[in-house]
Amino acid sequence: MSDATYLTLEKLTLAYGKTAAVENLDLSIHRGELLALLGPSGCGKTTTMRSIAGLMPVRSGKIVLDGRDITRVSANKREIGLVFQSYALFPHLTVFENVAFGLRLQGMSGAALTEKVEAGLKTVGLSDFAARKTPDLSGGQQQRVALARSLVMQPKVLMLDEPLSNLDARLRLEMRTELQRVQKESGVTMIFVTHDQVEALALADRIVVMRNGAIEQIGTPEEIYNQPASSFVADFVGFENITAVKDGMLVGPAGEVKASGPLPQAAGLAWRPRSIPLGSGPYKGTVRGVSYAGSSREYVLETPLGPVKAEVDAALPAYALGTELAFDLPPEAAAPLQKMD
Amino acid sequence: MFQNRTEALALALPAAVFAAVVFLVPVALLLSEGFKTADGWTIQAYIDFFSMPLNQAVFLRTLKLGLTVTLAAAVIGYAAAYAIVTLPASSKGKMIGLVVLPLMISPVARTYAWIVILGRTGIINQALSAVGLTDGPVRILFTETAVFIGLLQLFLPLMIISLISALENLPRDAVPAARVLGANWFQVFWKVILPLSREGLIVGGTLVFTGSLTAYITPAILGGSKVLMLETLLYQQVTVANNFVSASIIALILIAMSFAANILLRRIASARSAK
Amino acid sequence: MTQKLYTWSILSLVLIFLIGPFFIIVAASFSAGDTLAFPPQGFSVKWILKVFTVESFQQSFVTSMILAIGGTLTALILGIPAAYAMSRYKLPGAEIVRFMVSMPIIVPGIIVGLALLRYFVIPLGISISLALFIAHTALVLPYAVRVVSASLNNLRSDMEEAAVLLGSSRAGAFFRVVLPNIRGGILAAFILGFVTSFNQVPVSLFLSGPGVRTLPIDMLGYMEIVFDPSIAALSSLLAFLSIGIVFAAERFLGFSRYV
Repeated sequence: MSDATYLTLEKLTLAYGKTAAVENLDLSIHRGELLALLGPSGCGKTTTMRSIAGLMPVRSGKIVLDGRDITRVSANKREIGLVFQSYALFPHLTVFENVAFGLRLQGMSGAALTEKVEAGLKTVGLSDFAARKTPDLSGGQQQRVALARSLVMQPKVLMLDEPLSNLDARLRLEMRTELQRVQKESGVTMIFVTHDQVEALALADRIVVMRNGAIEQIGTPEEIYNQPASSFVADFVGFENITAVKDGMLVGPAGEVKASGPLPQAAGLAWRPRSIPLGSGPYKGTVRGVSYAGSSREYVLETPLGPVKAEVDAALPAYALGTELAFDLPPEAAAPLQKMD
Repeated sequence: MFQNRTEALALALPAAVFAAVVFLVPVALLLSEGFKTADGWTIQAYIDFFSMPLNQAVFLRTLKLGLTVTLAAAVIGYAAAYAIVTLPASSKGKMIGLVVLPLMISPVARTYAWIVILGRTGIINQALSAVGLTDGPVRILFTETAVFIGLLQLFLPLMIISLISALENLPRDAVPAARVLGANWFQVFWKVILPLSREGLIVGGTLVFTGSLTAYITPAILGGSKVLMLETLLYQQVTVANNFVSASIIALILIAMSFAANILLRRIASARSAK
Repeated sequence: MTQKLYTWSILSLVLIFLIGPFFIIVAASFSAGDTLAFPPQGFSVKWILKVFTVESFQQSFVTSMILAIGGTLTALILGIPAAYAMSRYKLPGAEIVRFMVSMPIIVPGIIVGLALLRYFVIPLGISISLALFIAHTALVLPYAVRVVSASLNNLRSDMEEAAVLLGSSRAGAFFRVVLPNIRGGILAAFILGFVTSFNQVPVSLFLSGPGVRTLPIDMLGYMEIVFDPSIAALSSLLAFLSIGIVFAAERFLGFSRYV
């Protein structure tokens, strides 16, 4: 993977009517990387993707691809591919003709066309389906056709809108490896949009977490998972216990407690349920909920900070509802947060 | 959703301009004639129009026929629509096809058939004299009854289709449930079927009512000059009396009634989709 | 059992009322007698054959066909872009456009015909044929817009975006992707428009002149003078024509999906 910047968004502002969907967004994407735009619905990720494709006009700012300013270039001349969430296949055409659609527009025909389309179908494992009509295919097959249709155009950037959300659990796993394989084989720069952090973590080289039309954090999956920069990202990647830090106090949603020891320099701290030891520690809470999850038990404690979630090895003896318990919030096991809501 | 306004206008304007120029402008000009006199704008012509007994009678007859045809269509429509929705799926489709079929046939042809049936030597009169009920032929053609029958046959399919779609949305077991709870058929209709199919009734009713008001062929063929309705009166005013002021007034009455019914229909349709 | 009895007796009565008269004119058109009567006096096809020899019928049939086909095609040429603009674009004044193109369905046809006669034909010297053509186009326009809109709204717009991203122009995307997928809707709109226009009377009432009149108007005029079964014969023929077209459309297109 080269570190050279390939696609750059500079001070990008996008708006529907008067309401801004994305404001002053700066982002650099490297050649050949697999980037995820992650965020809840309405965060601006899809709008950003559509503006890169040229389907959404840019209010202000610049989009530069491979050294060329494409901000005002029309969508059909950008050399950017997009696999739609609905796949957007052409129902009146066969699988072959769907894949051949863009190539024909380039004036390709005859043996060269057939060769390219067949190669594209082979890449996605659909060689035997060329003559089928697309509505007869399963969701997974339709997505492969959409992928092949974009790939044969050899786009500079290939984007995918929620590529796994319409598939069932088994297919999702299969498609995940498939997408990674295709990306490595073709070396295409790939951007995909998702609201599912599991997908982003599993697939991407780099993740951009977006919120309210701005970037919240950029990092590798490991960085996002282990070192969330803000309470928003922490919450998004499964830190269920989040407190603010103020003058040596931990501040929870229900109230505050004095920290039992020195705290790191941070605006807040976040713990996953696994990082909370039960049975000993300086803090007290009452068990309000227990659920058994095979290898572990999950507890919800009522504490002066508010509810605290802890996950404990199931081999340990269980605590009954209503039990008063000691627990710890060890600072060394916490992720320090730079920004709190 | 594409954003380009110029493109959007370029696509939509030809149709809109066409409708405005060939449609809105001449109709507006026609309507203005009813208010225009040498002294300026007045509603005197309307006062004169409604003070003439003939015009009053035609107006009331049109309204009366519109309402009675709508009422009869509703009663028969409910009976037929309920019978159709209880059919098994395969025969239901065929039955709906048969009900819709007449809509595709020229109204001239459909109305013409009633001459054969209702005329002096028509089927009805033949049957009546064969049974010995009457001495001579009974006059049915060129009466309000004939117009009523013709209009009902013309517009009943619209009511039945509207009611079928309303009744199909009826909860599956609503009627049996009401029966089990001890309701008689009258109560079932009044308390269960009617409230749940109200929208279909209003949609169908509007279609039948406006259709009856603005029908021309049926009153012209089956009513003749004896049973004038607003449309036939308009035609007569123009062709016989050359009276464009009256024509303009009748036009406004017809448009106003159609609009009122149409707005009602839209209100109901949008209230339904908002739910 | 009582339910079944109820169902079939109601439906038989309603169908006799709705369709019975149609069978009567079909039977009357095979009469051998000289006046319209039922039951028919003997059997012959002379009235059916006569229809084809009446010169004014031939003329007005051609007029009606030209109006129905030409008017509907014109309405589609105007209506498809308008429907497309309303379904795919943020159209300024969309409500006004929608109102304008649906007007002809709300305003009674007789008024449209009279207004065109009085303000177009007489003062501007526009020919009756052109006025008829305009009136029939306007009359069919609301159906064209409505049916095409419905079929556009059922078609996902991301297909066009996909085509554009594959290198097609916006117009190219319309012709390559949208048009092939709304063909059924357009054909349905055409048939609906054709039948509406062909059977239309009130719009054409005032718009007739020497040699220019639609078939239904011609039939109305003929009926007033001659009381023979030829009108019954012509009515039957036209009815079978309409039913045949609609039946074929349903068979091959699933016409009722669009209406």
